[in-house]
Amino acid sequence: MGQIEWAMWANEQALAAGLILLTGGIVAVAGQFKGWYFAAYSIAAGVLVCLLEYPRSKRKKGSTMERCGQKYLTAVVKLLGPLTRNYYIRAVLHAALAVPAGFLLSTILGTVCLGIASGIYLLAAVRGEEWRPIEQKPRERPKGGGTMKPPPSNPPPRPPPDARRKQPELGGQVNPIPVEVE
Amino acid sequence: MALSWRSWLANEGSKHLFLFFWLSLNVWLFGKTFLLYNQGLQYYYLHQMLGLGLCISRASASVLNLNCCLVLLPMCRVLLAFLRGSQKVASKKTRRLLDKSKTFHVTCGVTICIFSVLHVAAHLVNALNFSENYNEEFVTLNAANYRGEDPRKLLFATVPGLTGVIMVLVLFLMCTASTYAIRVSNYDIFWYTHNLFFVFYMLLMLHVSGGVLKYQTNLEEHPPGCFNPNKTLRQNLTVPKAFEELFPDYTTEPFPEDPLVPEPFVQNRFMRVCSEEPKFQSHFPETWFWISGPLCLYCVERLYRYIRSNKPVTITSVISHPSNVLEVRMVKDDFEARPGQYVILHCPRVSALESHPFTLTMCPTDTKATFGVHLKVVGDWTERFRDLLLLHSNQDTEILPIFQQRRYPKLYVDGPFGSPFEESLNYEVSLCVAGGIGVTPFASVLNTLLDGWKCYKLRRLYFIWVCRDIESFRWFADLLCTLHNKLWQENRPDYINIQLYLSQTDGIQKIIGEKYQALNSRLLIGRPQWKLLFDDIGATVGYNSSNSYGTRFEYNKESFS
Repeated sequence: MGQIEWAMWANEQALAAGLILLTGGIVAVAGQFKGWYFAAYSIAAGVLVCLLEYPRSKRKKGSTMERCGQKYLTAVVKLLGPLTRNYYIRAVLHAALAVPAGFLLSTILGTVCLGIASGIYLLAAVRGEEWRPIEQKPRERPKGGGTMKPPPSNPPPRPPPDARRKQPELGGQVNPIPVEVE
Repeated sequence: MALSWRSWLANEGSKHLFLFFWLSLNVWLFGKTFLLYNQGLQYYYLHQMLGLGLCISRASASVLNLNCCLVLLPMCRVLLAFLRGSQKVASKKTRRLLDKSKTFHVTCGVTICIFSVLHVAAHLVNALNFSENYNEEFVTLNAANYRGEDPRKLLFATVPGLTGVIMVLVLFLMCTASTYAIRVSNYDIFWYTHNLFFVFYMLLMLHVSGGVLKYQTNLEEHPPGCFNPNKTLRQNLTVPKAFEELFPDYTTEPFPEDPLVPEPFVQNRFMRVCSEEPKFQSHFPETWFWISGPLCLYCVERLYRYIRSNKPVTITSVISHPSNVLEVRMVKDDFEARPGQYVILHCPRVSALESHPFTLTMCPTDTKATFGVHLKVVGDWTERFRDLLLLHSNQDTEILPIFQQRRYPKLYVDGPFGSPFEESLNYEVSLCVAGGIGVTPFASVLNTLLDGWKCYKLRRLYFIWVCRDIESFRWFADLLCTLHNKLWQENRPDYINIQLYLSQTDGIQKIIGEKYQALNSRLLIGRPQWKLLFDDIGATVGYNSSNSYGTRFEYNKESFS
């Protein structure tokens, strides 16, 4: 139990709660239920919660699975600095966002779920967890120039490269045994 | 093209057929229940009050019944291991379906979540309709106490409502903790929340005992829409739609002058006069029938597993291998296992609540009762376990061996449970691919072959093991060399084709050890080239086999998260 990262679970819950708020709100607005202003609010709250919770935090040790396309939202969430990094603030924010949606029957489930997520975020904050952005590792480009050698300039048959360097040609053939032209 | 179609059919065909069958069953149940509540006469007045919400909530409830029943069955591991082992009961195709038991459990779980959302939404609408369409005529049919009662009271102050709300919360907790990301990173959260399923089932039993929705029992004496002479004419007589469609002119007059030939029961109904008031009765909770069977089966199985694993094992030796791997050998009375199976280890001194699965690397045989596991130290449980074991074995170097056994921590073994790797010996040619510590199921297969290789259907084993670190190969280097030598001695050197791959080459050391020459010559650097391997194996098998239709590859795999 010692190494559980509660924030990850709270993140999943908050994302699900955001979607529930969104769905409940859309249904109530479409059906023009009594008190549909609460539903309109819950749509907005749902969208905000989903956007905030979409980027997953980096785990303390081990690799983290990113959500698809989260890097764009990570850049935005990172900008807000301590407001998003601190989980106490997130817990309070979620609790506050959840309350107004509790007045309408179709969004009350979203309220309860977001409330539970807020509670788990509080637990994570107490245990000192923080939101850390997942940075993109700079891809090392393979250096193509180093391994590729230029093609040979002379036609075959070619002596090995070492032989060419050790015996520089003087423009003519060097005979090992002196030849007398008769 | 023909080869890949036949391979697909062999690998995926039965799984998709089973899925199609399950899907059709769900669709049929949904449709049947929907039509029953939409058209059934015994629900006529209820349908008037609640409308479409009644049909959707009941239809989704019947799908939920089915899936809550089925979701428990893939988790009965002892039963599945038994089915896998008994060759008479299960053919190879059925065993391949058993490999997908966890996927089926997940599918049923997701279906439960989706239909719960539908069921809750429909019941919310029902609560509103119960409140607004309070029926003064048939008071017992109502769930509300008066017209316009706050629907939230219906939701939170009744037994079905309250249990339903708590079940939704439990489902929410279980669902959010079961995602792949959480299982991979914090398995504990998944495990502890998933054990809330028991609370879910108990609440479900209570939820259906409320009996809020009632059906009419006396259809003969009071066909719905019949004429009640005692009622005043000022009341709006609502008649069934079927009646309205056939006799649009006569809906206000109960006795037409020129009756056409209508459907028999409409004629009977409209001719008839109600002889008595309708009587309503609650359903017997059919959910109890659906879920009691699997729940009892699962509880019996857990009890059996607990009794079976209650006797601690005796640890005979603990060997430390390079790259953080520990081998533990132990004995236990009446323990039988087949190669490829796994056990769950529980050590109270390490953790009172956690238990972890490990594949057996050595199974007990007729001559030798020792069995063993290889475990890689990655997390806190395995670290503490290793520290406890090695601490004890270090202390007892001067004491007689018999005392060593008494100092080891108590270890309980639950299992063995089946896995797809048991199939390796049932094919003529097996290609076993392993990465790192994932080689453990194949190690038990190799140990079994070491005892006797002639009695199995297997004629050739291609063994491909990919590791990052060269020291990892030493875990089973002795086993591989011994098997290789034995097969050479018995004149079957081509029985096993060993290929070892080292995927990371930053070390200078490229040999496993001086005495493992057979393995050093089979060590390749880099990752395996699969296309070449498959072409090679396919050509060999195709050439050797008598049928000319080519080679069929059947794929057995296991996922660990």
